[in-house]
Amino acid sequence: MRRLVGATGALLLAIGLTACTDPGAEPTTGDTGAVTWNDPAAKLDGVKLTVWAAQNSNTVPQQVIEGFQRATGASVQVVTIPDPYEQGVQTKVATGDKPDLAFWQPTASMLTAINAKTNLQPLTGAPWLGALDPALKDITGLLDGTRYAALVTSPAVEGVYYNKQVLAANGVTTPPKTFDALVDLARTLKGKGVTPFYEMGADRWATQWWVQVQLADAAKAGLWDRINTGQEKFTDTTVLNAVTRYDSLIKEGLFNKDIKTATFEDQGTALLAGKAAMVVQVNSFFGQLQAKADTATLNEKIGFFPIAPSGNVGTVIPDQSNALVAFRTGDDKREAAARQLLAYWMGPGYPDFVAGRNTVSLETAVANPAGVPQALLDVHAAVAGSAGSMQALAVANPDLYLNLADMIAGTMTPAQVTEATQKQFEQLAKAAGHLK
Amino acid sequence: MTTAIGRRTHPLWFLLPAYALLLVFFVLPTAYQFVYAFTDWSGFKASINPVGVDNLTQLASDGTLFRALRITVVYAVLVAIFQNVFGFGLAVLLERDTALNRIARTFFLIPVLMSALAVGYVFQALLKGTGALADTTWTLPVVALIHAWKWMGLAMLIYLAGLKTIPLDLLEAARLDGASRWHSFWRVRAPLLAPAVTFNVATALLGSMNGFDIVQATTGGGPARTTELLNIFIYRTFGQGLFAQATTMSLVLFLLVALMAFPVIVLLRRREEVL
Repeated sequence: MRRLVGATGALLLAIGLTACTDPGAEPTTGDTGAVTWNDPAAKLDGVKLTVWAAQNSNTVPQQVIEGFQRATGASVQVVTIPDPYEQGVQTKVATGDKPDLAFWQPTASMLTAINAKTNLQPLTGAPWLGALDPALKDITGLLDGTRYAALVTSPAVEGVYYNKQVLAANGVTTPPKTFDALVDLARTLKGKGVTPFYEMGADRWATQWWVQVQLADAAKAGLWDRINTGQEKFTDTTVLNAVTRYDSLIKEGLFNKDIKTATFEDQGTALLAGKAAMVVQVNSFFGQLQAKADTATLNEKIGFFPIAPSGNVGTVIPDQSNALVAFRTGDDKREAAARQLLAYWMGPGYPDFVAGRNTVSLETAVANPAGVPQALLDVHAAVAGSAGSMQALAVANPDLYLNLADMIAGTMTPAQVTEATQKQFEQLAKAAGHLK
Repeated sequence: MTTAIGRRTHPLWFLLPAYALLLVFFVLPTAYQFVYAFTDWSGFKASINPVGVDNLTQLASDGTLFRALRITVVYAVLVAIFQNVFGFGLAVLLERDTALNRIARTFFLIPVLMSALAVGYVFQALLKGTGALADTTWTLPVVALIHAWKWMGLAMLIYLAGLKTIPLDLLEAARLDGASRWHSFWRVRAPLLAPAVTFNVATALLGSMNGFDIVQATTGGGPARTTELLNIFIYRTFGQGLFAQATTMSLVLFLLVALMAFPVIVLLRRREEVL
C-alpha cells in the first residue's frame, strides 16, 4: 500500500512537472519573409476568430466586424479583457492563452513585452500600406525592422488642450510657441486669478506627459537610443531637469490646488467648465470630453496645440486603442483569416470604419468624416512632425508616472523619481534582453 | 493502519484524489516557487534560464521590497489588533441568547460573507472626498480598519463559542468565593478564552499578511504607494512581465509568513498550556 501511494505520488509529480513548464516556450519560427495575403472578401465560412479588446476599445471594431462577417461568412467574437488590459493580456499569453487578434500598443517596448517574435505574426507586405499617408506608414508598429502591428486610428499625441474661452477672455489669441512661452503665459494667467494648469495626481498616469513634452527635442536628438544602450540615464541632467522643472512649476502654484486628489474625470470637467485654462494630455482625454459635450460645444470651447522646448512639436504615443496585432496560433487557416480581417479593415471596410467612429482617416484616398472635431484634426496634424515618446522609443516602459505622482504627493524628490525610474528601467530592459 | 477494521472501512487509497488535488494546486506551485525564483522567467522571451540568486540580490538592493514588506507587516498587525478588539467586544456584548442579540449577530456576520472586492469598492465610494484615503500616513490604518470590519464577525463568532464553552460551575465557584463580576470576567473567563485568542490572532495576522483584494479595491496601493502591500507589488511586477521577480517576492512573502506563524502560534499555545 505504501509503495502504491509512493509510486502514484511520484507519477503525479512527474506529470505536474511536465505540465507546468513554460507554455510560452514554443520554438520561435523564423520569419520566412513571405507572408501571403488573402483577398479581403474571400469566403471564410466556418472560421471563428477571437479579438481581444480593452474596456475602452471593445466597441471600436464593431462595425468592421459586422461588415467582415457579411462579406466572408466568418464569425468574429470580441472578448473584453478587464483593465489593466496590458497586464491581463500578458498574463494570459504567458499561460498559453492566445486570441487571433488583439488591440495592442504598437510601440517597440510593448511589442517586446508581448514577445512579438514568438507570439505575433509578422505583417510584412500588408496590402494596405500603400494606401496609408506616407508620413504615418512607418511611424510605429515595427520591432527590429519587422512589422507586427496595424495602425487603424490616428496615434495619440501628448500636447496642450486648452479652453479657448478662458484664453480669449484673458486676451490670448495665439497659443504659445515654446515651452518657456507656455510657462510665461501660465504666470500671466495666475496673476489674473486663473488656474493655469490642471493635473490629476490621484489617477496618476497623466503626470508623465509633463516630463515627456519637455523631452521632445532631446528625443529627436536620440535621447531614448542613449538611454536604451546605457549611455545616458534617467538620473542624468536631461530627464532630471525636466522632472525638476515640473516639480518647481507645481510648487510655484501654477496647478490646481487639489492636484494631489484630482482625478482624470475632474480634469475633464474642470477644463470644460473653464475652471482651469490648460491641461497637458493625450487623445483619451479628448475622448472623455466627447462623452461630456457635443462636437459643436467642443469646437467652440476646446483647442489643442503641441508643445516642446523648441517649438510646437508634438510627442507621439500610440496607444492600445490605435492598433491591432495578429497572434501566431499555430492554426494556418485562422492565422490567414486574422490577416484577412486586418486587410478588410484597412481596405474595403475603412471608409465605413472612419465614418462610423467619426475619426480621422489615415489613408490618403479616404476623406475625414465631416463631424470630426477641430481639436482632433489639430492633434492628427501634429503626428507627422512629432517626436517619439518614452513608450514609443524606449525598449522598456518604467512606471515614471507612479514616481511622479509620489513626487506630487510629497513622498519623493525629483532626484528620487529619476533614480527609481532608472532602476526599474534597467530591470525591465535586462529581462527583455537589452542592457546586458 | 492500526486495526484490521480501520483498514477495511477506510482503504487508504480513498485519500488519493484529495492528495492529488493538494499536490497539483498547493504542493507543486509552492515547490515551483523555489525553482522559478532563481530563473529569468519573463514575458519577454520564451526560454527560462537559471540565474542563481540574482533576483534576490536585485530585490534586496532595491528599497521597494523592504518598503512593501514593512507596509505589509504594519497592516497585518493593525488588522490583528482591530479585528480581535472588535470581535471580542461584540462577543461580550452579544453573549446572551436574546432574540435581539441573535439578529445582531447575524448582521455582524454578513460582511464576512460579502465579496472582499465589493467591500473595498463600497468603502472607496463612501470615503471618496473625505480625504480619508488621500493621507499618506493615515490611509493604511483606515484600510486596516476596513479589513477588520469585514472579518470582525468571524472573530466574534469564535469568541462567542469560547465564552459559551466555559463551564458554569467555574463561574459559580468564583461567585461563591466573592469575586465581583469584573473580577470573574477578567480573571476567570478571559484567560479561558486563550484557545480562541490563538486562533483569532493567528488567522487575522497571517491572513492579512496575504491581504490584497480589500486594499486593491479601496486604494489600489495609493496614495503615493503608502498602502502598497507586498501582494499588490507582486501583482504589479507580474503584470509587467517580470514573472521571475514576482515569484521571488512571493517566495519572500511565503518565508516571512512561515517565520511569523511559528513563533506566534508557539507563543500563544504556551499561554494556553499555563491553564
